[in-house]
Amino acid sequence: MTAARFEVVSGGGDGARRGVLTLERTGARVETPAFMGYTRHGLHPHLVPDVAAEVGGLPAVTRVQAEDFLGGGRWLGGGGGVRALAGLAAGGVVVLDVLDPTVAGRAGRAGAKAMAIEAAGGTVRLGPGDFAALAAALQPDVVVPPADYVAEALPSLERGKRIEKSVERSARWLDEYLAQARHPAAVLAPVMGAHSAALRERSARALGARRGLLGYAFNDGGLALPLERRLDLARQSLAHLDGGGLRYMAGAAAPDAALRAVLAGMDLVDSSYAYAVTEQGFASTYALACDSPAARLDLWHESMRADFRPLAAGCACFACARHHRAYIHHLLATREMLATVLLQAHNLHVYARFFADVRRSLAAGTLPADAARFAAHYGPDAFDELRLLAAQQATATPTTKVQRRRHTSGPGDIRDHPPSKTTAPTAEPKPKSSATTTTSAGGGGDSRSGGD
Amino acid sequence: SPALKFEVLARCSTTKARASRMHLPHYTAHTPMFMPVGTMGSIKGITTTQLEALDCHVILGNTYHLGSQPGPELLEAAGGLHRFMAWNRGLLTDSGGFQMVSLLKLAKITEDGVEFENPYDGRAMMLTPEMSIGVQNAIGADIMMQLDDVVSSLTTGPRVEEAMWRSVRWLDRSIKAHRRPTEQNLFPIVQGGLDPRLRTLSAQELVKRDAPGYAIGGLSGGEAKGSFWRMVTLSTDILPTNKPRYCMGVGYAEDLVVCSALGVDMYDCVFPTRTARFGNALVRTGSLSLRQGRFRDDARPIDPDCPCSTCKTYSRAYLHTTVAKETTGCHLVTVHNIAFQMRLMRDIRAAIVADRFPQFVRGFMQTRFGRTVPRWIVEALRSVGIDLTVPDEAGYSATPIEDDCQKAPAT
Ligand SMILES: [Zn+2]
Ligand SMILES: [Zn+2]
Repeated sequence: MTAARFEVVSGGGDGARRGVLTLERTGARVETPAFMGYTRHGLHPHLVPDVAAEVGGLPAVTRVQAEDFLGGGRWLGGGGGVRALAGLAAGGVVVLDVLDPTVAGRAGRAGAKAMAIEAAGGTVRLGPGDFAALAAALQPDVVVPPADYVAEALPSLERGKRIEKSVERSARWLDEYLAQARHPAAVLAPVMGAHSAALRERSARALGARRGLLGYAFNDGGLALPLERRLDLARQSLAHLDGGGLRYMAGAAAPDAALRAVLAGMDLVDSSYAYAVTEQGFASTYALACDSPAARLDLWHESMRADFRPLAAGCACFACARHHRAYIHHLLATREMLATVLLQAHNLHVYARFFADVRRSLAAGTLPADAARFAAHYGPDAFDELRLLAAQQATATPTTKVQRRRHTSGPGDIRDHPPSKTTAPTAEPKPKSSATTTTSAGGGGDSRSGGD
Repeated sequence: SPALKFEVLARCSTTKARASRMHLPHYTAHTPMFMPVGTMGSIKGITTTQLEALDCHVILGNTYHLGSQPGPELLEAAGGLHRFMAWNRGLLTDSGGFQMVSLLKLAKITEDGVEFENPYDGRAMMLTPEMSIGVQNAIGADIMMQLDDVVSSLTTGPRVEEAMWRSVRWLDRSIKAHRRPTEQNLFPIVQGGLDPRLRTLSAQELVKRDAPGYAIGGLSGGEAKGSFWRMVTLSTDILPTNKPRYCMGVGYAEDLVVCSALGVDMYDCVFPTRTARFGNALVRTGSLSLRQGRFRDDARPIDPDCPCSTCKTYSRAYLHTTVAKETTGCHLVTVHNIAFQMRLMRDIRAAIVADRFPQFVRGFMQTRFGRTVPRWIVEALRSVGIDLTVPDEAGYSATPIEDDCQKAPAT
């Protein structure tokens, strides 16, 4: 059914393993464990392709989410798919999932026929047929079809038949998607069953018996359980799944979580962590080698003001090769959008280097020891940016993905410039000149060096 | 001047336009040129590597903002703004006075300088010509602007003359305070409102100071375009032909074309980058408001002839969706708008060098306005030998209309 292939190179069972994902059509070859590039509308956050190309070391897998393309009309069907729409490299592997991993509470109460996605402008229903149509337009190489993800508190789950229903629905939706799929993408099937051992087994056995799946997706984030617990649940499923399948775990993007997921046999996570770090105004400084005292640097901090060192010592990224902490601190303090551009370039670079180290360590047989040292060195709370970001988004309108800043500018320093807005503006000041669509006379007052 | 060599490569045989090389300490800029505004030491979301790829030669910094943050001490410690922001080409800074007057409502002008209330503690503070030069010396831009006494171009009466003469006195104080004349150029600013007598006097006084280049200020403030172009052409008639002329705050495409015909070499404006963040993409016919529903299914690029990376890759429909939701979408439009300005200036320069500038101007106006062109443009061009009302070889001619700008939306 598909020209995507995954091969386990070494390791296996429910322990860490190395593998290779290959795509015949584009010649892409991806060594796992790896991450998929987290994108918004197909773009690495903050990075236009010219700048993203400078990051270097990124794996050839890009993850796009259906929710960014909902309501997309005829324009999606230009023929080139999301590669052409979003300017993705012609090579590589494009994975289409449904939900944005950085936003909590996106999955609403599903019906029998479709997922409910809380999108801008209201709830959008996405059933297997809709997803098949979207996949036909976006032409991904791999899909994670819709499933009835459980996002409910435990007591209400135990009373009803919620989990059972979710397993049944998801299995049916998968069949319906496969029956309606017009574009031949490989499938990562969502593994369901929440925290019911019996239902996990039922879901996994059904999937394990299927032929032609590329692998499996584990997305139990809605259960609000600690990672260790979610990995236990995943292990229960793995026992009944085809061991040769590629495994993607959602919600394990933070480096400490990714290490634990890899040690539990997962092959893929996504780079949403790097984005979450950027949104806090942080620069990542962690490394598998534990050669830095802290996992991150707070660029908002006053101590950065006159610090002319690069973000991280010895970092070869685009930002560190050209810029210093003082400049990025200045850009944050003055709400300049270049701050997040440079931070994202750095944070993604560090994330990519971390995964290269993980693969090397795994090949050398030292990963369990390195991971234990990593966890002990940086401590349990060093990688909480995704949680911070989700909490910040929860306090805003849930459907607008607005950028939130943890920090506000310092109090009444007389040198401070009056704070200005940071998010994308919604209305442009109207020029004074007589009403026309294309302004020609001077802008409001005087456009002379008016500050931009 | 030791820090600026201006080399005129070609003169248009019809208009006052010229194409030149301006050798600055950090870069040799090609003029006529447009300089994007990077108020705080960055052009919104665009890296300096991208700016180089976009063919930007000189960018602007704003002294008032940079003097507040990061401040002159830090900029000096960093080795100047070039090194602080990692930009190795040309930089120009304004004096900071305009921001004082426009941002801080309580600013008061005295002979000493601009007195204003600190926005944080309400204390009275002062910006003098010497302080402005001090901060600009710390920033280290290739070109600095004198502090001038800015009055709105709509002001009339004795205040305009007072401001004009005060600006001359402030220029002399600025020249005296300038600590780095071999590394930085100080440009005086022609003032005098919309009064031809005062403009003439101002320009004549400034020419006596033998500056490395001159700016035309106090315009682009909402005055009638008929007055605007007359003040520009009057100024370029007096300013020396062997020195660069900079018309401050000009950035609309038709203004760039007309002012280049009137002999202006340098421009700056926040418009192209600011309007990009509102989803407006510049094209030769005007601008596309990409947020409008009519672009929802439009599979065409912003401009099929534009060589920028945005136009090579993205459809209007994709930009319509992303520009309102992602900062990255805004960056894509910003890239295009800068590319648009740079390409327009390249086309202007190439036309002058080929001595085909009048033909270029006619073609430009035909594309932008069709058969009806704003009267101020018709008159400004006629004053330098291009008569749009007379048909050319291709049969194009236009009738003047009273609107200052284009009426029909671009498609
Ligand atoms: Zn770096
Ligand atoms: Zn373009």
